[in-house]
Amino acid sequence: MVVLDIVRRDLTRFARNPVATALMFAIPLSMSGIFALVFGASGEDQPAITIRVLLHDEDDTLLSRMIQGSGSDPEMDERLELVTVGEEGYQMMEEGEASALLHIPRGFTDDFLAGRQVDLEVVKNPAQRFLPQVVEEGVSIGAVVLSQSSRVFRSELAQIQELRTQDEFPADSLIGALSVGINQKLRGLETYLLPPIVDLETVTLTAEGEEDEGGFNILSYFLPGFSIFGILFFAQAATRDVLRERESGLLRHLLTAPVSVGQYLVGKCLSTVVVTTLGFAVLIVVGIAAGVAWGTPPAVAALVLTSSSAAAGAMLLIMSLVGSQRQGDALTTIVIIVWCMVGGAFVPLSQMPGFLLPISRATPTYWAIDGFVTLVQNGGGLNDIALNVLILGIAGLVMLGAGSFVLRRRILSGAV
Amino acid sequence: MIQVEHLRKNFGDLTAVDGVSFEVRDGEIFGLLGPNGAGKTTTINMICGVLRPDGGRVLVDETDIWIEPKAVKRSLGVVPQDIAVYEDLTARDNLNFWGSLYGLRGSELRRRVDDALSRVGLAERARDKVKDFSGGMKRRLNLCMGLLHEPKFLLLDEPTVGIDPQARLAILEVIRAAAASGSTVLYTTHYMDEAQELCDRIAIIDHGRILTVGTLEELTRMAGEGEMMRMTGSFDEATARARLEGLDGVQLHSVEKGRAMLSVAADGPGLTVVLPELLAGDLGVDDVSIQQPSLQSVFIRLTGRELRD
Repeated sequence: MVVLDIVRRDLTRFARNPVATALMFAIPLSMSGIFALVFGASGEDQPAITIRVLLHDEDDTLLSRMIQGSGSDPEMDERLELVTVGEEGYQMMEEGEASALLHIPRGFTDDFLAGRQVDLEVVKNPAQRFLPQVVEEGVSIGAVVLSQSSRVFRSELAQIQELRTQDEFPADSLIGALSVGINQKLRGLETYLLPPIVDLETVTLTAEGEEDEGGFNILSYFLPGFSIFGILFFAQAATRDVLRERESGLLRHLLTAPVSVGQYLVGKCLSTVVVTTLGFAVLIVVGIAAGVAWGTPPAVAALVLTSSSAAAGAMLLIMSLVGSQRQGDALTTIVIIVWCMVGGAFVPLSQMPGFLLPISRATPTYWAIDGFVTLVQNGGGLNDIALNVLILGIAGLVMLGAGSFVLRRRILSGAV
Repeated sequence: MIQVEHLRKNFGDLTAVDGVSFEVRDGEIFGLLGPNGAGKTTTINMICGVLRPDGGRVLVDETDIWIEPKAVKRSLGVVPQDIAVYEDLTARDNLNFWGSLYGLRGSELRRRVDDALSRVGLAERARDKVKDFSGGMKRRLNLCMGLLHEPKFLLLDEPTVGIDPQARLAILEVIRAAAASGSTVLYTTHYMDEAQELCDRIAIIDHGRILTVGTLEELTRMAGEGEMMRMTGSFDEATARARLEGLDGVQLHSVEKGRAMLSVAADGPGLTVVLPELLAGDLGVDDVSIQQPSLQSVFIRLTGRELRD
């Protein structure tokens, strides 16, 4: 009952100070709002990403024009903008006007048909990270195709090169023989190339009765980590009160009543969980408005409650260890940032370097984020996050117990 | 009854409480008088169970607070020296919370809160946030929190520090009323007049030790029937000591450069003989003040210095 009295008192204090309470929520909520606005719903209203590539074609022959034509495919047309340029293309690259420049050197077609080594040059824009790499990968795939074609159709290509050098139009019989030769080689290759043994089929699963919304919701990637970041900040703000009460003598006075340090900290933990859950409810609404599917309510509730308990336990343990409010603020902020970085709040867990994963798994943030990733990105349910919930719950209890032990010892010894 | 037996507490190398023993009898107001840093607050904190003693024990109605903490704490009402109220809550919120910790609920809690607020003159400010209160009002609310559950034992740690005389009188009146209604009071202070006015028995504490315990009459009798004299001037310690120790009927309590404390025995030559001798010599006395026997003179006799030191 005493524990509930402490929770009621804390909630009354939050209610009596709406401005301070709003400010406590402000940082994590404003950041989530900004994320939601920036990345928006499912990206349907946003323009598709188009890669602008400058083509400096010094060869200007059949083959080089075929390369230019590769961008005219209707699907590619949305994603690739090929701009033919001259020498000024390099200056344009200096000014960052495109993701990359593809240089086809003079004599490219002749050398290719003659079976000589040819070079394609890709100049990448250093100011961009991903798009120039896409161009580079695309050109290298094209180079492989051209190289293999050169080897397979060596004799035919040599004949074509010879025909190009003649002044008169080639005889029908010669063109026919060339066509037959190419056709026969293609048929021979068909056994190896067609049909493809491995085919890729992409299927988007949707719940029964729902339509596939299509598109990629980038907020789903950010939100799990960001939610934990928010939970930790809520917990930090709510548990800061322990130090205020300690420094003002309120805690010592409270302990003259029939209240133990353990009851006090459990009460604080529960009120922190309530505050954190309320804050998280707002994050959920923001996420839903931005098109994020959070998962089943029982699973989300279990994860939010255990994550909040672990966050509150961690913050209370730190508040019990430090000597002053300033120390507490500094240390909790450091712990939040480090745990979020190592635990995968800022860098997706799937992108985390291998050596960091064991360290990451030692943080509560890892288990919380992993749980939310399972729910939000993989559509998991309560069973899929059972281990996460268990670990977070135990971690919360252990840290709360340790905090209670340390604080009681320090108070009774007169250290605080 | 509260029995304090050989309490001891060290903070590192500092001995804050050094074998303190006394008892507070049922129904009395017991004063713990001493200067700042004497060990009063440390003693109170050990009695109410928020500071673990390094030695000794505290029995409240023969129960050790460290063995049955919750049971003992229910019978205690503690008013700390620091104002310990939630400033962002209203006066009523504070009292509702505090009462609930002692198991008060519903109409009983409301009645006690209303009654307590009326007793300290805060009924009209019950719905105001404490941060808008004056220092005296906060002190009164602080006192209210200790009285709310009508405790058998009321422990007050310098509850009148830093407030105006009117608020101080109001607080002392509330404490008298609590004692009259059956509470046993342990009251710490460094104000002698408060101890004299309020307390049935007084313990004088200094440097973590109880120097003496008794009623006001017993203590002043201990100070002797003669007058206490306080001398200031341009004398040095050695000269003053040589001159004063040789005077018949004079007891020297303390002497240092420019200042000396002494008493004149009632059965000796008396002030009329001693005073001219002091002033006539070449000692360089600028001022002499004479005091009737009081707690101050007891403290001087016991410690060689005034309480305000």
